[in-house]
Amino acid sequence: MEATIEFFKKLIDNLNGIGFPYLVFFIGILEVSFGLYKNKWPKNERWVDISCFILPKLVVQPLVAYYSLHFLPFIFPQAKDVFSWVPFFWGFIIIAIADDLTQYWYHRLHHQIPWLWRFHRTHHSASYMGMAMASRQNIIYTVFFSQIYLTAALVYLGLGIPAIAVRVIKSTITTLAHSSIPWDKPFYKYKALRPIAWVLERLISTPATHHAHHAATTDDGVGYYKGNFGNMFFLWDIIFGTAHISRQYPSAYGISHYEGDQWTAQLLWPFFKSKVEGSELAPNGPIVRIEDDYEALARREKNKQQPVAKVASDKNRVPAFSNN
Amino acid sequence: MKMEKATKDQIVRNVILSLFIYVLPIVAMFITFLITGQRPWEKKVHKIENVKPSTFKNSQNNGSND
Repeated sequence: MEATIEFFKKLIDNLNGIGFPYLVFFIGILEVSFGLYKNKWPKNERWVDISCFILPKLVVQPLVAYYSLHFLPFIFPQAKDVFSWVPFFWGFIIIAIADDLTQYWYHRLHHQIPWLWRFHRTHHSASYMGMAMASRQNIIYTVFFSQIYLTAALVYLGLGIPAIAVRVIKSTITTLAHSSIPWDKPFYKYKALRPIAWVLERLISTPATHHAHHAATTDDGVGYYKGNFGNMFFLWDIIFGTAHISRQYPSAYGISHYEGDQWTAQLLWPFFKSKVEGSELAPNGPIVRIEDDYEALARREKNKQQPVAKVASDKNRVPAFSNN
Repeated sequence: MKMEKATKDQIVRNVILSLFIYVLPIVAMFITFLITGQRPWEKKVHKIENVKPSTFKNSQNNGSND
């Protein structure tokens, strides 16, 4: 019995350590093979994606290691393995809820509190979905990613195996939700699969619901950047009334007025500022910029080379940021 | 740019509901223990008492107690 437990422990450890980068790499290869990045990955965006993927790891991983190995034992010396008696099933349920609900709030508040928006804007500035942009985040957003510290604390308290099991499942769901491969499409297409689709799209994040969150507009009945904040569980959006399910994929992604801020500003704002005038990341830029209107966005999609002029007719039109 | 009052109120309501959701699985676990009579925390103490002291030969953590 102990050998079996040990086997599963090693399996989960390996999936956590090696499996996830392999999954991202494998899906990335598929996306490129299907031509999903064709003409959609300009040089500036490549720099943003690659720097956001590599550089935070050099900062965050040592920070989490310090927090786990030195900070927690120093603050709570008696608490190590104090909850190791919790059965795996309950440990898994408790962590899945605590972890993902915390992340739901972290994510939602970055969309609803104006001054937090600029720390999350980088993730939404990509005009495409896929593995390339999945890790695209400002360094501050990544460093203060509450869920990382929560998981580390749970491992310290003796809930390591369920915590890692949750992490493996969550990484898979969130990665697949960001993928440009619409794996959920057959569930909507075939009548026999529709009951499964009904449950699935309410329980976890799918490409349709998460792509809607990354849409450039919220006016077409498909895109909905004012909600769909869930990462692993979509259930939070259902419970809190922030869900929008259309079973369709947006025609345009990103921020309507985005004009390619430099990778340094996107990764390291507020330490580095954007040179793009009027950008939210520019030295005197607005906290939240008014969104280009839907017609202007459609024109831009038609002729991607020409950026559209800003239309400030409606004060509530703010990109990806939600204040209502 | 300020947050709208309706947004603020919705956040407050949802946070209160979230606190309940956080506690829910923990309460459910203890209710299950109460019904089944399980006391896994006692098992842990018992297990520790019966563990043989590790030596350099059988220790898997190079003698570290961390």
